[in-house]
Amino acid sequence: MTAHMTPELHHEVSFFRKYIFSTDHKMIAKQFMTLALFFLFVGGGFALLIRWQLAYPGQPVPFIGHLLPPTWVSADGVITAEFYTQLLTMHGTIMIFAVIIPLLVGTFGNFCVPLMIGADDMAFPTLNMVSFWLFPVAGVLMMCGFIVEGGSAAAGWTGYPPLSALASGGQTLWIVSLFLVGFSSILGGVNYITTILNMKAPGMKLFQMPMTVWAVFITAVIIIIATPVLAAALSMLFMDNFLHTSFFVPANLIVPGKLSPHTAGGGQPLLWQHLFWFYSHPAVYIMILPGMGVVSDVISVFSRKPLFGYKAMVFAIMAISFLGIVVWGHHMFQSGMNPLLGTTFMVSTMVIAVPSAIKTFNWLGTMWRGKMEFTTPMLNAVAFISMFVIGGLSGIFMASTPVDVFIHDTYFIVGHIHYVLFGGSLFAIFAGLTYWWPKMTGRMMSETLGKWHFWITFIAFNATFFPMHILGIGGMMRRIYDPNVYDFLKPFQPMNEFITISAVVLGFAQFILVWAFIQSLVKGRRAKRNPWRANTLEWLAPSPPPHGNFDTPLHVYRGPYEYSSPESVRDYLPQNVPPEEVQRQMEEHRRREDTSRRAMSGEVHDHS
Amino acid sequence: MLDWLPENISTFGNGVDHLFGLIYYISVAIFGLVISVYIVFIIRYRRKKKSDRAYYHHGNNLVELVWTALPFALFLFLAFYSDGIWVDIKYPSHTPNPDVTIEIMGQTYMWHVRYPGSDGIFGHSERKFISAINPFGIDPADENGKDDFVTINQVHLPINKNVLVKLSSMDVIHSLFLPNMRIKQDAVPGQRVDVWFNGAKTGEYEIACAELCGSGHYLMRGVVTFHSQGGFDSWLDEQYARVNAGMAPTSKTDNSIAHLETQEGRR
Repeated sequence: MTAHMTPELHHEVSFFRKYIFSTDHKMIAKQFMTLALFFLFVGGGFALLIRWQLAYPGQPVPFIGHLLPPTWVSADGVITAEFYTQLLTMHGTIMIFAVIIPLLVGTFGNFCVPLMIGADDMAFPTLNMVSFWLFPVAGVLMMCGFIVEGGSAAAGWTGYPPLSALASGGQTLWIVSLFLVGFSSILGGVNYITTILNMKAPGMKLFQMPMTVWAVFITAVIIIIATPVLAAALSMLFMDNFLHTSFFVPANLIVPGKLSPHTAGGGQPLLWQHLFWFYSHPAVYIMILPGMGVVSDVISVFSRKPLFGYKAMVFAIMAISFLGIVVWGHHMFQSGMNPLLGTTFMVSTMVIAVPSAIKTFNWLGTMWRGKMEFTTPMLNAVAFISMFVIGGLSGIFMASTPVDVFIHDTYFIVGHIHYVLFGGSLFAIFAGLTYWWPKMTGRMMSETLGKWHFWITFIAFNATFFPMHILGIGGMMRRIYDPNVYDFLKPFQPMNEFITISAVVLGFAQFILVWAFIQSLVKGRRAKRNPWRANTLEWLAPSPPPHGNFDTPLHVYRGPYEYSSPESVRDYLPQNVPPEEVQRQMEEHRRREDTSRRAMSGEVHDHS
Repeated sequence: MLDWLPENISTFGNGVDHLFGLIYYISVAIFGLVISVYIVFIIRYRRKKKSDRAYYHHGNNLVELVWTALPFALFLFLAFYSDGIWVDIKYPSHTPNPDVTIEIMGQTYMWHVRYPGSDGIFGHSERKFISAINPFGIDPADENGKDDFVTINQVHLPINKNVLVKLSSMDVIHSLFLPNMRIKQDAVPGQRVDVWFNGAKTGEYEIACAELCGSGHYLMRGVVTFHSQGGFDSWLDEQYARVNAGMAPTSKTDNSIAHLETQEGRR
């Protein structure tokens, strides 16, 4: 607490205001992080149940099979087909809306944006609090699906009507829950844009912002363009589902044995797909751009080298966000959409691969002639790049419409999405969490545990998801309960078992990370202000930063990537050091070197 | 890896597989190149001692231009090359004149298949006539529809003939997937999409549903049997005879529940 802090930030806040209904961006970031990591284990648990069924169809779930309620498993503990479709729906929904987006946007956006631009908090702290509290409410609603009659949503995370319009109970909760999550996103997006445009430290220009801030900024723009469309679509689906209107349901629909209650008719199932993907394709970039920002920062810091092509990187993100809005139809090549549109969406999709390629090459350029230090964050960032290359290349197969005819809705897609969302987003999240952990908590994390976590995750990840491409080439459909119904899929049973075993290892390896976090909180070494010797502003604040963040006034003189600059004595040059001070330090350093050199030569002289 | 592809028996399937292979080898080459550079960098550019300084360098516009232009050219080439095949498979304007036309209607969890009968003409059908016992919505007043016959999960077709499938769905979205034909098309209620293919080899091949349609999605399996022209004709004659004798299932089929039980029983 110093005199520099403004008086209104000085007062003590109650436990309630500090830890529960906090308006402090750092506490909100930690709340997002804790809840999202909890959901990571929920969604991961669902994935393991799915994997069990695929590898050992018809066999009771080991250890917990007999504990599960009778609506989920048969009498001897085998997952039912109904529960299986609920699991795959909730796995996708939770991982996307309750894990990846809250971690990348909610956690890094909240924690990093004000600190990296030198602000004391977000522009709208109360709005920020509301944005967080919509998330647990939505989470509880979503999970309530499992205890209502008929079970949770079971129409896939994409919720295509008429299937989703015909279900009740959990499906209705799913719609309401996603609506709230969308609201949370929009509130956050507005807040990030306002904060970044208005609250940068004096002297900081737009092109002096770190890539993480740029990425969150552009992500926020995508959020406020695309999310309202999702909200509109969900509203219509809610009415179809609950009030039996017919936005997405055609006339005279026969559901097993009877006429559906949607009597008006005239609806278009494809309309939902257009609206849904108009949001959900940009959402893919919402789930990768902040990760790209984090990785750019981590790679530059631990290569001790300026980011290669900083402006090209920013323009590449802008290009991705623009093109990301005009490629949604590539999810619909086989949907019955006019194939002429397939051609146009194929061209735009091929073009969007270009800025992603630019980013990859620039990361390589950053590493070129760098002096890399392989800390845990760096290992995860490096893994991000290599996994993103695979995820990007496998995307070309789907972009090519004739190839997509075959691999659409197969495990090839499942492999691809996991290389992007796990190999990409989640490795970036691991990189970001371990990188900012000292700043967040004031404690260092064990490098040994971090590296164990990384290596086991990296190997098990590839063993789990790479073979899925082969399953897809073999034609195995997604979302099927038992592949053995089909003769052409029977040869893949050993591969499915291998994937499941790898997935179990992958799942349990995540406990190492939790252990590392807890160990660090209990007995971790105290973190210095700038343990990684980084340039960006967040490292000037105390670790952890108090309410109000900085204890010194800030002025920004340069971009964030001045590593190994010949002008500087040290191999890093923080954004806030005035040029005169840099020059003074250099002169002093030269003088000291001169003196010691003279002293050395004097000694040599004496001996001779 | 491409050896895992199921056997291809359709005419346009060779083009698809060839394109698949092309993209595969391009991807492997790019991946190999990028990852080699990457591994070399990781080994070579490590910080070994504290005084190590990286090369102070902010980038190069010419290099940026090159690695923007090259992928751009490559991806545009792939897009145009792909489009040629896409046009042949899916554009209605490029669908060849059909030798055989059938209708397929998806229903939770089965495929109804309709043949035009001995007159070769489908009876008039409309969505408003669709009911649990009339999946195709055949107009009961139309004489042409009287000899139409329907099979469930069984498609019989001749080889080396252009087959046109008029595809739709009674209830939710399904997706007709014939792995060996390299064809997949969603069946959307309230909409009819034409699918064509031409099979070159006799035998039985599986049909799957590729779009989640409920908890029994995985059971939505059908079989397409390709006959020689002679075999197909005699199969048709057999069906016509049964229609005339009033034995064949016509538009009035059993309902799905009885069918599901037989499916379950088979497993």
